[in-house]
Amino acid sequence: MLPVCSLTIFTPLVGAILIAFVPRDRPQVARWLAFATTLVTLGWSLVMLAGFATGSGGFQYMEDVAWIPLFGIHYQVGVDGISLILIVLTTLLTAISVLASFRPIQERVKEYMITFLVLEIGMIGVFAALDLFLFYVFWEVVLVPMYLIIGIWGGPNRIYATIKFVLYTLVGSLLMLVGILATAYAYHSATGTWSFSYLDLSGFHFSPEIQTFAFVTFFLAFAIKIPMFPFHTWLPDAHVEAPTAGSVILAGVLLKLGGYGFIRYSLPLFPYAAHTFAPAIIVLSVIAIIYGAVVAVVQPDFKKLVAYSSVSHMGFVTLGIFAFQSQALQGAVLQMVNHGLITGALFLCVGVIYERTHDRRFAVMGGLAGKMPLYATALGFFMLASAGLPGLSGFVGEFLVFLGTFAVAPVVAAISAIVMVLGATYLLYMFQQVAFGDLSDFLQGLGDHLHDMVPIEIAALVPLAALVVVLGVFPAPLLNLIQGPVAGVLDHVSHGVALGILP
Amino acid sequence: MSGADVTAILPVGAIWVVAFLVILVDVIVPDRDRLSSGVATIGALAVMAITAAVASQAPRTAFGGSYILDQLTVLLDLLFLSIAVLTLLFAPDYLRPRGLPLAEFSATLLFAISGAMLLSGARDLLVLFLGLELMVLPGYMLAGFAKRDGLATEGAIKYFLLGSFSSAVFLFGLVFVWGYTGTTSVAGVSAVLQSVAAGKPLAPGLAMGLAFLLTGVAFKIAAVPFHYWTPDAYQGSPTPVTGYLSVGPKVAAFALILRLFVGALGPVKADWVGAIVILAALTMTLGNLVALTQSNVKRMLAYSSIAHTGYILVGLAAYAGAAAGSEAEARGLQGILVYSVAYTFMNLGAFAIVAALQRHPGVTSDIETFSGLGRRAPLAGLLLALFLISLTGIPPTAGFFAKYYVILAAIETGGFVSWLAVLAVLNAAAAAFYYLRVVVYMYMRDAPESAPPLARSFELQTGLVIAATATIVIGVFPSGLITIAEAAAKALL
Repeated sequence: MLPVCSLTIFTPLVGAILIAFVPRDRPQVARWLAFATTLVTLGWSLVMLAGFATGSGGFQYMEDVAWIPLFGIHYQVGVDGISLILIVLTTLLTAISVLASFRPIQERVKEYMITFLVLEIGMIGVFAALDLFLFYVFWEVVLVPMYLIIGIWGGPNRIYATIKFVLYTLVGSLLMLVGILATAYAYHSATGTWSFSYLDLSGFHFSPEIQTFAFVTFFLAFAIKIPMFPFHTWLPDAHVEAPTAGSVILAGVLLKLGGYGFIRYSLPLFPYAAHTFAPAIIVLSVIAIIYGAVVAVVQPDFKKLVAYSSVSHMGFVTLGIFAFQSQALQGAVLQMVNHGLITGALFLCVGVIYERTHDRRFAVMGGLAGKMPLYATALGFFMLASAGLPGLSGFVGEFLVFLGTFAVAPVVAAISAIVMVLGATYLLYMFQQVAFGDLSDFLQGLGDHLHDMVPIEIAALVPLAALVVVLGVFPAPLLNLIQGPVAGVLDHVSHGVALGILP
Repeated sequence: MSGADVTAILPVGAIWVVAFLVILVDVIVPDRDRLSSGVATIGALAVMAITAAVASQAPRTAFGGSYILDQLTVLLDLLFLSIAVLTLLFAPDYLRPRGLPLAEFSATLLFAISGAMLLSGARDLLVLFLGLELMVLPGYMLAGFAKRDGLATEGAIKYFLLGSFSSAVFLFGLVFVWGYTGTTSVAGVSAVLQSVAAGKPLAPGLAMGLAFLLTGVAFKIAAVPFHYWTPDAYQGSPTPVTGYLSVGPKVAAFALILRLFVGALGPVKADWVGAIVILAALTMTLGNLVALTQSNVKRMLAYSSIAHTGYILVGLAAYAGAAAGSEAEARGLQGILVYSVAYTFMNLGAFAIVAALQRHPGVTSDIETFSGLGRRAPLAGLLLALFLISLTGIPPTAGFFAKYYVILAAIETGGFVSWLAVLAVLNAAAAAFYYLRVVVYMYMRDAPESAPPLARSFELQTGLVIAATATIVIGVFPSGLITIAEAAAKALL
């Protein structure tokens, strides 16, 4: 059988190596080669999706090769429903991001495309890895390309932003390394064999001390990545400075790495500690939901607004995860996917206007609906999706999170639901500023530069819009995919511990 | 001397032959110093082949047990010879434009390496001291090799004064140990300590001896607070020499630690583990904190090499803190070895790029010099980025796996040693800041108008290929190295 999982992970590597041989003065070749690579990668992930046996909670497309036998480290990859949809999300968003980089990236195109493809390897690898060591390796592989993308192709203050991004992430991930090693060693001293495999470790009852220590280190890494309040401060900087495609990937996929880590590792490996810390994490989530929304209301900058709204939306994800309730957890997964689609699209929209105006402040915008009707439509559509309009996909995830949380912590659910009004506030206000009224003086001064979206920009947004509608109306296939794994995770968590945490 | 003796000392003897041969060639054809350097390189490679060939004969002893060829000796010898070969490959492009004689450099370097190789198999306190001195004396010469350069002379004098002072302190410590145990043989010392001192409070004489030995060794590996000579000596020396000094004497001093502290003083390790933990914590933290503020890349690498000493010391602390005969004990020793190997290749590689950048006399190693390097010399930029990423400890590189190993060892040992693991990773995160700052300059800033081209000789490229390959292979497929390190650690325990 074809090792589809490895093919998905390493196709970008082949593309990156090929692009390295493209002459520097032929950027167009590098662009199309990169796009073709991402399409092939997307194809492989869809092959996995097509052949995936829905309904089973186990892993499929497993590959297992001994890597460092002395420590029981394996190259072990495989997917369950959760990782599979996140992989498809990754490959889709990467393809779209590469397409969206055709026009904005004019310098060092070849290096940019190589960096982007290496980034894709890391991201898919994180979702596919079933060995903690391998997971860590891919986790760190993500870091360097993103550092370069923000630092080389970013905005004026890019160096500050990128170093902040790296240092935050690295502190978390290096501590997680200690946690990983402590976990593996605890397993070793109890059983006499080394293993980093998720399959071995997840069913294992670690002592409360180990669980607490390892959970805290994992939590730091994931909470910084996702990012949770108060570890979020790198995010607005990174978003503001990153190039459009960098922002799309950052919001669309990189933040999901944190949420995925919680679901895949924190909960099944350390259920005791997860229960101990869940109340605190839920409180932090609620703070993030409120804080992100409140801060987003006053942002003068397009990207900052979307960045803070991400903090708020990812708060729903952590809330759903740590409610330890089936619907909530399903909602959290859906919310991750939908946030990836919608926020990715919103950043693409920001990129469209930024490319024409080299400005992102609302204050100077106005009246775009008349001048760029297509653009205004797209922006309005994704704005409504982000605000959680029923019928579009953003609603489904949040609704499930509310529903699930209400069953275990009604007060928390009520508070969070009220905050959704705030979300509508800042998004509608933003849209009103940008789209309605008379064309502002600043925009008038641009003259013919201010043209409507070109086909390549439309091509990048259409698949996202289609998915937002489809998943909003008909989320059942997605839910079927994740039901099994979600039940498995909750089974680990609830093992011997009663549910019900907060009033 | 029996046949066994010859086998055991064959590598050391061979490297001396090569060193004398280099001098001889230089005497016969004085103007062809490229030839002497070639002889030195090929000779060192031949000695590597000899070492690998006699490896199957291990363990063999010579001179009544005062020198041993075991798996540890083989690993360390091969490592020292790799250091020699890489340094010989990297040096010409820097030394020749500055009119510094290559033949003398090659011979001096080989003599220093011979001292290190003597250390790696020493089983007698006197041979240990002999090897140590033979290793450091040529080092002082190399540090002051650019004798008309004020900074180099200043650095060399500091290095020499503190170096000989610490040698004296070390020797004093040896005397105490000898006085207490009545023997100079490593095995003898170990046996006496095992039967007399283990588990009891330390006798005053032995305690003083331990303190002196620790201090002397701490000077040699440049552990905080005995590191003050390092930055000046490193910054003043010609860049290829700095590369050598940051690796060769350091790894050799760890060889000394393995032979002396692990081999001879292992039975009383409970008495010195505390000191090592403190040294490791201080060395990592201070080395990194000071490196943060450096704007000269050579000086930054000098301080960061102090930090790396700290990480290697974590391995030693893990050994010393673990129960005798436990798995963690071996893991700590393996950690020292794995880290040393990984560190050698990535650090020498980084220094090689700095040296290549400085081909033209007058080019400084200031961080501004690296502006736009990724643009004007893509391959050199990429390689330096690789070495720096490895030094930071980001997978899949050698530096990551080395850190993995020492951290794992510290966790296995447990107790207060395991907190060193947390401290080590926090330090690694801090180190990312200054390592990646160089990457920022290389890729995110524009090159100055008139940047002189880099050196691109065949030797340099060969050396860089070796260093880069090792950095990646150890990171991706570390199993081979683990096996070797396991065998070496087993030879010691």
